[in-house]
Amino acid sequence: MSDLGKLYRDLQQSFAARPCDLKKCGTLLAQLKIGLITAGLLVPHGEVNPKDLEIARDILEIGAFWSIRSKDIPSFDRYFSQLQTFYNDYGPVLSKSPREFPIRGLNLIRLLTQNRIADFHTTLESLPLPADSLTSNPFISHPINLERWLMEGSYSKVWNAREEAPAEEYKFFVDSLMGTIRNEIASCEETAYESLPLKDAATLLFFASQSELLAFAKQRGWQVNLTEGTITFSRKGEEKAEIPKEKLIAANLQYARELEQIV
Amino acid sequence: MAPDIDMKPTDDVNKDDAESSETKVVPPSPTAEIKTNVALIERAVSTLEPRFTHRVLKTLTGLRKKLDWKVLRDAVEGVYPADSVTKKELLAWIPEVTDEGSTATMDIDPPADTTTPAPKPTTQDPVPEAEVYLRLLIIHRFLASPSTYQKAGELVHEIVDKMQVWNRRSMDPVAAKVWYAVERAYELGDELANARPLFLAAQRTASLRHDDETQASLINRLLRSYLSYNLYSQADKLVSKTTFPTSAGNPQYARYHYYVGRIKAVQLNYSAAHDSLQQAIRRAPLPTTAPGFYQAVHKLSVVVELLMGDIPDRSLFRHPVLEKALSGYFEIVKAVRTGSLSQFQATLATYASQFESDKTYTLISRLRQNVIKTGIRRLSLSYSRISLRDICVKLHLDSEEDAEYIVGKAIRDGVIEGRIVHEKGWMECGGQKGGYGPEVAEVFGRRISYCLELHNQSVKAMRYPLNAHRKELADAEGAREREKELAKEIQEGGDVDEEEPGLGDGF
Repeated sequence: MSDLGKLYRDLQQSFAARPCDLKKCGTLLAQLKIGLITAGLLVPHGEVNPKDLEIARDILEIGAFWSIRSKDIPSFDRYFSQLQTFYNDYGPVLSKSPREFPIRGLNLIRLLTQNRIADFHTTLESLPLPADSLTSNPFISHPINLERWLMEGSYSKVWNAREEAPAEEYKFFVDSLMGTIRNEIASCEETAYESLPLKDAATLLFFASQSELLAFAKQRGWQVNLTEGTITFSRKGEEKAEIPKEKLIAANLQYARELEQIV
Repeated sequence: MAPDIDMKPTDDVNKDDAESSETKVVPPSPTAEIKTNVALIERAVSTLEPRFTHRVLKTLTGLRKKLDWKVLRDAVEGVYPADSVTKKELLAWIPEVTDEGSTATMDIDPPADTTTPAPKPTTQDPVPEAEVYLRLLIIHRFLASPSTYQKAGELVHEIVDKMQVWNRRSMDPVAAKVWYAVERAYELGDELANARPLFLAAQRTASLRHDDETQASLINRLLRSYLSYNLYSQADKLVSKTTFPTSAGNPQYARYHYYVGRIKAVQLNYSAAHDSLQQAIRRAPLPTTAPGFYQAVHKLSVVVELLMGDIPDRSLFRHPVLEKALSGYFEIVKAVRTGSLSQFQATLATYASQFESDKTYTLISRLRQNVIKTGIRRLSLSYSRISLRDICVKLHLDSEEDAEYIVGKAIRDGVIEGRIVHEKGWMECGGQKGGYGPEVAEVFGRRISYCLELHNQSVKAMRYPLNAHRKELADAEGAREREKELAKEIQEGGDVDEEEPGLGDGF
């Protein structure tokens, strides 16, 4: 246990140091996790000392932040699911962790960037907060606002909120989120506009330089007219007036079968 | 010491009750009711006809309110023979009414016995089902006052153990009710989460034993427990891993559908949620008998309908049971219908605490985008060309930039037909389509499948007497037998007939 204590202090130090030594944290975390398993604290069961549990939780929390800093999302996922036990089942026993809500918020953003909206809402419902005070918690209100803006289409607000992240780690997700919204905007533009001036397209898509835009346009298959400086979107889906024969036949057969059952 | 002190006021009440029951004998006293119920349960067990047990359980809610210790004591005394072990066990749970009270009980006992039609000389213990039933009543009595919650908890554990040992199929209907009492006991003791392992274990056993009623009851208990702790993902997993027994009663089905509807709504699967809630409404007891459930389902269903982009019927909000409970929701519906964001936000703020306690707040706050969509739709219908600036003002959006993105998204999502002319800064709304595309067939198909589903569900919800078809089968079997015999006879007879002329020919 004393060995574990020393490792834990080491981890705290190297995690708090600026700039944080990611590599050292990683090796320490691996050792600590083995230590936790032998002490029966990683997946706690039975009667355990609350103080030990708090230390175990702290280690896992540092692990979660460390995974974000070293850009390892699956690892964050693992740490988060291990932390669930501490937050939910041991919640009443342990003192509140100041890192709990930042980590929950990070998890919400992660779900958002992976476009798992249903999971996002399920997680949101299961937060141990009354629903009308969700917005007063900065760590939680940030992902909530992002989701709302994404859903209604206020992309510029998402773009502007990038700098307002309540914790350093949140910024990591911003890049992938930007990728998501750029694709969203692009698909909106394809249907909403016939053509767009290059300059405006760049502002709409939040591109700083024209070359980035051109690369993006190429990727989406847009026709760029450099002399006039416009992008033309190929109109698709005009001649979709075909009758879906198979579907209609299947539906009619289904009706016949049901009617037969009734009669 | 605490229980003793607490007991006093209840004792006084008991005496009053005893006096009142002495003075007016005309309506069947609770004791007599319990006794006839026990007799009915016996009959159900001996004739293998669960119908009688169901009839007994139907009176449970009414009977619960009339229970007191004296009634229970009398009932136990009357039902069991004098030297029964079970009787002693049961009586041990019923707190002693003061000495005078118990002597008074003795005095009253004989006349009460003569009034009941039950056979007087009880020499044999009634079936275990009756014991469970009586225990159930005792638990309900315990649950009626906060001081005895703990005793209820103890008794609950004992009864659950006993039920597992007995393992009798004829006990299932009563057992299902017992599980409800178990849940109540835990919930009132404020430790609902701790009951989950017990429920899960019992659910497994019940499903192995094909004990449908208990299983249905337990699945609902578990779902309720998960949802009250907001554990939606666990609840969802439970739903996907279990099959709700089809033979379960309507009230259980209604609850189950309500819980499933709630889970689906949280997961943004609104059409599935809507279907489940419709089922729940259809299977729910009459609104006058169970107004609470009816209101809860309707609250959720209104929100889900709005999220699907439909507007609920106006008549719904005039329903006598719903009118008051749904007033906040009515305001929300009005705001969504007019597409006014400011009105929506104001309503949400006014009724926040109500929505919060109904657990619909987060669902309702998702409606924001629907409000915007309706707003844009209305604009696109009334204008053929409108500047982004005006859209921004009319919908109370924050900036023109936002308006452009929002309109773009609305066009992509197919909410409106039209396009944006960026250079001029306006939105041009395309003419409406004729309305004779393939989507018409789709909508039509959806409606038909809804009607068919409704029909099938109604057929399934009908009740048939158990094993009635067997009689018919037997009849058919008999008829077939007779036919066979007849055919045989004819054949034989034919043979004889044929033989004779044959013989005659030969002769």
